[in-house]
Amino acid sequence: MFAEEEVVKSHSERGKQISLLVVGMMGLLFARLCYLQVFKGEILHQYSVKNRLREEVIWAPRGKIYSRNRELIVDNNPRFDIVVTRQYLQDRKETLTKLSEIIDVPYESISATLKKYQMEPKYKPIIVKKDVLFQDLAMVETLSDTLPGISVQISIARNYIDTEVGAHLLGYISEINNTQLPKYRKRDNVDYRLGDFIGQSGIEQQYDSVLRGVNGLEYVEVDALGRKRKYINTDNLFQGIEDIDSKPGNSMVLTIDRDLQKVAYDSLGDRSGGVVAIDVESGEILTYVSTPAFRPSEFNRGIDPEYWKSLINNIDRPLRDKVIQEHYSPGSTFKVVTAITALAEGVINGSTEVHCTGALRFGRRNYHCWKRGGHGYVNLTKAIRESCNVFFQKAALNLDIDQIAHYASLLGLGKKTGISLPRETSGLIPTKEWKQKSRGEEWQKGETLSCAIGQSYILTTPLQMAVAYAALSNGGKVFKPYLVKEIFDINNKTLKEFTPEVISELSLPEDIVKKIKKGLYEVVNRKGGTAYYLRDYGTKLAGKTGTSQVIRAKAKDVYQKCEDMPYEYRHHGVFAGFAPVDNPKIAIAAIVEHGCHGSTAAAPIVQKIATKFMKKYHPEEYEKKSDDEGNLL
Amino acid sequence: MKNLSPDFLKKYDVSFFLGMTAIFFFGVLNLYSATYNHATESLFRSQIFWFFIAIFIGFIISFIHPKTLFRYSYHIYFFNLIALLAVLILGKVGMGAQRWLAIGPLRVQPSEFMKIALIFALAKWFAKNSSFEETRIKNIIIPSALTIIPAILIMAQPDLGTGGILVLIFAVIVYYRKLQWSSIIKIALIGLISGWFMYKFALKDYQRKRIQTFINPYQDAKGSGYNAIQSEIAIGSGRLFGKGYKKSSQASLNFLPENHTDFVFSIFSEEHGLFGASLLLSLYTVILLRFNWLARSVKSMYESVFCVGLMSLFFWHTFINIGMVSGLLPIVGLPLPLMSYGGSSLLTFGIAMGLATSISNYRSIF
Repeated sequence: MFAEEEVVKSHSERGKQISLLVVGMMGLLFARLCYLQVFKGEILHQYSVKNRLREEVIWAPRGKIYSRNRELIVDNNPRFDIVVTRQYLQDRKETLTKLSEIIDVPYESISATLKKYQMEPKYKPIIVKKDVLFQDLAMVETLSDTLPGISVQISIARNYIDTEVGAHLLGYISEINNTQLPKYRKRDNVDYRLGDFIGQSGIEQQYDSVLRGVNGLEYVEVDALGRKRKYINTDNLFQGIEDIDSKPGNSMVLTIDRDLQKVAYDSLGDRSGGVVAIDVESGEILTYVSTPAFRPSEFNRGIDPEYWKSLINNIDRPLRDKVIQEHYSPGSTFKVVTAITALAEGVINGSTEVHCTGALRFGRRNYHCWKRGGHGYVNLTKAIRESCNVFFQKAALNLDIDQIAHYASLLGLGKKTGISLPRETSGLIPTKEWKQKSRGEEWQKGETLSCAIGQSYILTTPLQMAVAYAALSNGGKVFKPYLVKEIFDINNKTLKEFTPEVISELSLPEDIVKKIKKGLYEVVNRKGGTAYYLRDYGTKLAGKTGTSQVIRAKAKDVYQKCEDMPYEYRHHGVFAGFAPVDNPKIAIAAIVEHGCHGSTAAAPIVQKIATKFMKKYHPEEYEKKSDDEGNLL
Repeated sequence: MKNLSPDFLKKYDVSFFLGMTAIFFFGVLNLYSATYNHATESLFRSQIFWFFIAIFIGFIISFIHPKTLFRYSYHIYFFNLIALLAVLILGKVGMGAQRWLAIGPLRVQPSEFMKIALIFALAKWFAKNSSFEETRIKNIIIPSALTIIPAILIMAQPDLGTGGILVLIFAVIVYYRKLQWSSIIKIALIGLISGWFMYKFALKDYQRKRIQTFINPYQDAKGSGYNAIQSEIAIGSGRLFGKGYKKSSQASLNFLPENHTDFVFSIFSEEHGLFGASLLLSLYTVILLRFNWLARSVKSMYESVFCVGLMSLFFWHTFINIGMVSGLLPIVGLPLPLMSYGGSSLLTFGIAMGLATSISNYRSIF
C-alpha cells in the first residue's frame, strides 16, 4: 500500500501539467468569448437587432410522370396560401379584420385557426386560407406593406392530371412525419427535414429517390416586420455562406397507356375492383386500375378530415390496391392451370371425354358443377368453354396437389411478381408441406378437387393472373411485370432504360397450348361459351371467366341466386384472358368485387380494353376477323 | 451502518454535488429561457425530474467503496460493450435509431454510459500495470484496444462525437500515466500518416464526404455553417453584461436550432454577456481542478487514474461544446455538461459526481 502511494505521488508532475493544460484551454475559451463579446460585440449586436438572416429551403421540383406515349400524367403546380406570422403582427385586430375582408374568411375563423396553433413558435407561418385565387393573391401582395405579418406562401403541389384514374399505381406524396423522419434519414442517407414531401404509396413511394431531387438553401434577410429581401453577401462575417441551388428530380416514362387506363376506369365505374393489362411479349404493364380510387392530390398537404373519413369508412376500401395488395380465389380462371398440369402429367389427353351429370361424388361429399343437370359428354375444349367443374375435378382425382402447385408456381402464381411497387402481396398456392406447416394437418384429397377449380386455399392477385395468362399465350415465358420504361433528367438526358426480364420459362408442348387456347377462344366467341354474348371476331379475345366465392357456399345454397344475397356476401366476378388468340399481344385480368359472375361483371371490362387496344395499336389485325369456329387456330 | 456514522458523514465531501447543483441551477433557468413560448416548453420540467434522479443515483453511488468499484470494473466495461453491440445489431434489424436500447418503457443509450465504463476499465488496467517507470508504446496496447473497440462501435452508430470523446479520455489518461514524450510523438506521427492513408485509399466516397463535412461544416448543405454563425451572433450580441434573462432574440426567433441541447451556452452568453459566461467558465474550471486535486491526493493508482478519467470526461465535453458554439471547433453535437437538455447526459454526470465523491470520502478510511 505504501509503495502504491509513492507511485501515485510520482505522477503528480504530470497531474499538474494536466491541470495547467485545462486552465490554459479554458482560458482559450475565455479569450474567444472576449473576442466575440467585447471586440466584435458591437457589430454582432447590431446584427442581432437589425438584420435577421434566415435560412429558407428552396424546394426541388419533383420529377414528372409521363404515359408510354409521352402524355403528361403527373405534373407540379404552384399553389398559394395566405399565412399569418404572429411574430410580425403589429395591431393584431386591425390587421386580421382587414385580411378577413380581402380573403373573405370570417374574422372569428381566422382567430380560431391562430388559436389552434398558439403553442407553435411565433415565427412559424400559419396557413389561414389554402389555395387562394389569383386576384386575392394580388391584393395581399400589394397590401403586404400595410399588413405586417401577412404574407403569401408558395408551395408546389402535385397535380395528377387524370385525378382518380390510376391513383393506386401513381400513389401520393405527403409531408414526412415524425416517425418516418429518423427511419428514412437512416435508410436513404438523406437529411430529411420536417416539411419535406416524400412518396407514401405507389410509384411516388417506390421511385421517391428518383423523383424527389435535392432541395436547395437560400439566405434571406428578414426585417423587423417580417419582410424578406435577398441577402447580398457583403459582410465577411458570413463568409462561406452561400445559396445552394436545388436539383430538380428526374422524370419518368411509364409503360402505361392513358387511353386504356380511362377505358378500364370508366368500365369499372362505381363498382369495386381491379384491372391490369400487360404486354405478353415484354411484361410492360399497359393498364393498372383499382376502384374505388382516391384523389392523390388531396394528400399533398394535410388531408381534409371529411375526405379522409369518407375513404376509410367506405366498405370497398378505396385505399387498397386491388391489383396487387389484395388476393382472391381465382375461381375457374385457375382451371387452365389444372388443364396444363393434367395434360403435362399425362392424366388426360386431347381426346379425353368425361360425362358430367352435374356433380361428382367423392368420399361423402358431392362436388357440384355450376350447371344443374350437368354438361353431358365433355372434352377439354368444351370443358374450358363451358367451365365444367366435373371435368377438371375428375382429372384432379389422378393428380397430386403438389403437381398442380408446381405448374402454378412456374406460371408465377402464389408468389410476388416482383413488380416495383410497394406492399405487393404474394397470394397462396398450397402444397402438402404448406398445410402441414401452417395448420399441422394432413392434406385431404377433397381439397385437391376444390383447388382444381380455383377454390379452397388458392389465392392469387389479378396481376399474377395476368402474368400467368400472358405466359400461356406466349408459349411459356413468364415476364417480370414492369411499369417504368425510362428515367430521364431535367435536360432530357436518358438515365436509365428498362428492358424486359424473363423470370421463368415453362416449356409447354405446342399441341397442349393449342387445345387450351382453343377452349379459351370459344369461351368468348363460340355458342355455349360462358362469355359468348361478348363475341367480337375482330378482337379475338380468348379468356376464362371465374367466380371467386366470398363465403363458402353451403350445399343447399349452391344454386342460390347470387344477386339475392346481401352485397358483402356476393361472389367476386373474375376474368383473365389475352388477345388476339392467333397472335397474342395483350393479357388482361380483372376482378369486380361482389360482381357475382365473371361473365357479366369482369369479362366486359376485359373485352373493352382488348378491343380498344387492338383498334389503337393493331387496327390491321382487328380488320382480319375470324369465324366462330376459331378457325385461325 | 458504519458508513452513516456521524464521523463518516462529517467527512462526506459535498463539493462535487455542490458544483453540480450550482451549474444545473444556471442550466435549468437558461433552459427555461430557451424554450418558453416554444413547443418544447415542457422540457425544463423533465430536466428537473432527471436532475433529481441523477443526483439521487449519484448519492447512492457515493456510498459504494472504491474497492468494490475496483472489483467490478471489468464487469461493468464488458457489460456495456455487449449493450453497445446489441444496439448495433438490433438497430440494424429494426432500421430505427441506433443509439437507443429499449428495456421495457426505458430507453437507454449505452454509448453515453460507455464513457464511464471505459474509465472503469482503464483505471483498473493501469492500477495493475503502474510503476514509477515511464510508459512505453508496448505497454498501452491493451488499453488502446479497450478504447478503440467501443469507439469504433459508437462511431458506427454513427456518432462521431461520442466515439471521439473515448479516444480523448484515453489520451489524457495515458499522458497522466507518464507516456514517454518520444512515444507521444511516434503515436501522433503514426496516427497522422495512417489516417491519411485510410482517407485516401481505404474509405469509400461517401465516407470521405462525411469526414469532409465533419472537418469543414461550411461545405455542408445541412447548413451547420449557418448555425455556427448564428451562434456566434448570439454570443457576441450579449456583449459585456448581456441582454437580460429571457431576452435572447436569437433564441426566441429560433435562429438557433437545437437551442435546448447543443446551443444552450450561446443563449446563456447572449442573455448574460461576458460577465455571466466567464462566471460559468470559472465554475467549470473549479470543478475540473477539484477532480485533478483529488487525483493527486488519493493513495491508489486506481482511484487516481479514475479521477483523471472523470476529469477529462467533464473537460472534453465542456471544452468541445463551448468551442463549437463559439466558432473555434466544428459542430459535432456534444452536450454541455449539466446545462444541455437530456436525461442520459445528466445521469452520466450524476454518476461521475457520485464516483468522485465516493473516492474522496473513502480516501482516508480503510
